[in-house]
Amino acid sequence: MSSESRAPRYEMVNVRGGHVIIEHDVCSRAVRSYFAAEPNPPVEEYWEGRRLWRHWGAAQSVQFDVRDTTSGEVIPFRELLGLMYYACCREDRDLRRLGELAQEHRISIYVAITYETAEGEPTRLPQDKAAVLNGLFNDRVKDKSKKILILPDLFNLYREMTYGQVMIDFGLTAMAESR
Amino acid sequence: MKLQDLAQKLELKLVTAAFDKEVGGVYISDMVSDVIASAKAGDLLVTVQIHSNVIAAANLLDLCGIVVTQGKLPGDDVVKIAEKVEIPIYSTELNRWQMATRLYEAGIR
Repeated sequence: MSSESRAPRYEMVNVRGGHVIIEHDVCSRAVRSYFAAEPNPPVEEYWEGRRLWRHWGAAQSVQFDVRDTTSGEVIPFRELLGLMYYACCREDRDLRRLGELAQEHRISIYVAITYETAEGEPTRLPQDKAAVLNGLFNDRVKDKSKKILILPDLFNLYREMTYGQVMIDFGLTAMAESR
Repeated sequence: MKLQDLAQKLELKLVTAAFDKEVGGVYISDMVSDVIASAKAGDLLVTVQIHSNVIAAANLLDLCGIVVTQGKLPGDDVVKIAEKVEIPIYSTELNRWQMATRLYEAGIR
């Protein structure tokens, strides 16, 4: 079997629909987001220790796992909120400049945006899981002169964004970083 | 079928530069998350979305092109992004249902 026709190593599995919920803490102003699989997203405010979490927004999205077909292992991606394409960033961002350079060589950069912890702290996608995502999406690309490069959030985009750019659908209009 | 041939047959208006692509199938959706989860490489995306995130999704999935329905047109910034990643965008006055039937009649499965 030629390399061009071999079966992909990774496949997307356990795709489930739900909502990304964005909340803010009334007391500390911390913001967090998480995926809720319930058909009707929760909207009530509630106390959690000393934090009073208030609903800020919700948007339809999906969550998935990735199966390594060589081992059968299923790698969960519960922390993945979305993938931000470099061209959707502000022009003054390093990511934008880096992305423009890479795109000249047909490498498209996306940044994996992750959910915050229960305390509103960011979590960065581990390198090994970023490698799995790169395998998943590059396996699917038919034009082999093109490459997808998914990076953990090395650019601290989480500071300004609490939701993904590509996987989230916010009222049927996608979000872009404010200019 | 070549996308340019299909576009000519269905009288689609080319919005970006032309790129030589082969149509592998069709996916109809207005939800970017749904496209990511379910579209396949080589699919032609039919949508009413004109935001740059649609291009991001199309590029990520290696779709062959995008048809924007109901006469909507993407902005110049979106066109520029699409051309950079060689994703052709076409526009039509038809709605998604009408577009779907025309694609089926044209032999796309």
